[in-house]
Amino acid sequence: MTTEPDLSVEVAGIRFRTPLIAASGTFGYGTEYLEVADYDAIGGIAVKGLYLAPREGAAPPRIWETPSGMLNAIGLQEVGIERFLEEKMPRLRELGVAILVNICGSSLEEYAELAGILDGVEGVAGIEMNISCPNVHQGGILFGCDPRMAAAVTEAVRARTRLPVIPKLTPNVTDIGMVARAVEGAGASAISLINTIPAMAIDVETRKPRLANVVGGLSGPAIRPIAVRLVHQARQAVRIPILGMGGITNHEDALEFILAGAAAVQIGTMSFVDPSVWKRTRDGLADYCRRHRVASLSSLTGALVADVTAVPQGW
Amino acid sequence: MKRDESTALVRREALSPDAFLLHFESETLSRSFLPGQFTMVRMPDRSDLLLRRPYSFCDSRFEDRTFSLLVKIAGKGTKALTELPIGGRISCLGPLGSAFRLPDVGRKPVVVAGGVGIAPFVAFCRVLAKRGEAATVLLGGRSAHDLYLRSVFEALGMSVRTSTEDGTHGHRGLVTELLARALEQDEPMELYSCGPTPMLLRVAAMARDKGIPHQVSLERRMGCGMGCCLGCVVYTRTESGGEYLRSCTEGPVFDADAVAWERDPYPL
Repeated sequence: MTTEPDLSVEVAGIRFRTPLIAASGTFGYGTEYLEVADYDAIGGIAVKGLYLAPREGAAPPRIWETPSGMLNAIGLQEVGIERFLEEKMPRLRELGVAILVNICGSSLEEYAELAGILDGVEGVAGIEMNISCPNVHQGGILFGCDPRMAAAVTEAVRARTRLPVIPKLTPNVTDIGMVARAVEGAGASAISLINTIPAMAIDVETRKPRLANVVGGLSGPAIRPIAVRLVHQARQAVRIPILGMGGITNHEDALEFILAGAAAVQIGTMSFVDPSVWKRTRDGLADYCRRHRVASLSSLTGALVADVTAVPQGW
Repeated sequence: MKRDESTALVRREALSPDAFLLHFESETLSRSFLPGQFTMVRMPDRSDLLLRRPYSFCDSRFEDRTFSLLVKIAGKGTKALTELPIGGRISCLGPLGSAFRLPDVGRKPVVVAGGVGIAPFVAFCRVLAKRGEAATVLLGGRSAHDLYLRSVFEALGMSVRTSTEDGTHGHRGLVTELLARALEQDEPMELYSCGPTPMLLRVAAMARDKGIPHQVSLERRMGCGMGCCLGCVVYTRTESGGEYLRSCTEGPVFDADAVAWERDPYPL
């Protein structure tokens, strides 16, 4: 094969030049990494979650390192939609990557109003709905844990915008398929999964929790196998595309999600650790496609081979 | 310009049983940071250390293209860094954050540092020395071996005074007692501080009482150093009330008057 493999993907009508999307809450408002990351390798950016009004966020300490993971309780400190559109959106537009605006609310009406405001804003490719944040006391994960609530808020957002609507789901449910089907039925264009896993760490010397919020969300490589499983299960349940994420550090990790059923992937914690993750992963995917004679990466979505007999599995 | 650079350890100086000055080779980093700025360090060979750790740039030597970090063992990240073999490589993301502003003309710089809090002031005093200025440097520690690098400050022509809680070096007591004495001098001053929170609180209160400008470098747990994770915030007062600012981006050097100390949970 002599032609370069096509790494671009189309998800819910949104064209991503690579399947690598910066996960919400890990890439600020898009421009922070311009000096150190290779933006050509980035297909999309999901901006930090926005409410109608600015929010102060949770008290520190807000983060803690755990084995292969990061625990956080930021509590959605953010600038509010007005300042976002005024100050952040003009610079985001110039980046040439697909912009997903992540929205949050403490009520169904707040989500709907944000969707209405974003409808028709130049440069917004889609709306990612945060119905899975473990660190806010109203809304957030409460919407994502209950299939009826998840459907209701999706429907409310759907009714107010022509943009693709992408609920971001929590892993903290018994049956991800039920929630995925509920939001699909309510008009979701795609789903993002997973958000962080509710988790906790304690300093035994002081007997105090590591985070002021006591409980936080776990991200990073520690959660990857859980996330891959959830993408796989959601794939069985719905037809809409999946943006998969959870501890991706390189192209092999990304491919796990893609083979399990993700049309594109998001990277978060690893971007903190190593800003070269975008270029490394993009180059690794291209190399994989060449080695496996894959012309278009998108053909690998859900291409899991279920038969594990006669496969050499060195470890 | 921020960059992520792989650098090798070229020299390790033991300053005390648990504190080390580590010298790394990098033409660009040794020249590009401003005093007060920091770097996010990753040890690529230590997969058990996922997140980078922030360290203030301590000093640099242009002639051998090195910069140094002052590292005191406080946990597994600092321990791993002090155990890096000569020639071992780390990734340094930087330079990051805000720098110390030089004192206004006519104001005498007074540095107040506790323990490893002296780290950012070596480079700062080097800049002062080049300008022909001398700071008063007040170093405090529990014991004599916590008073790192005092000979370096002396060699730069700074006026160094020390305090130890156990009386093994200099004034027996707290560094803020040295500061109280220094503040009796009737001349315009500008304060610079870094160290444990109780010390910073006291210095901030003393500076406020006397109306002396005071810049403080705050150490916080950081996830990214780039302004994105929002893990390292410090509550600051603003005209409209207050807000969390990022110590990696708006800091680590803050005007002490802006910091809402009563909302600061870090004991250090």
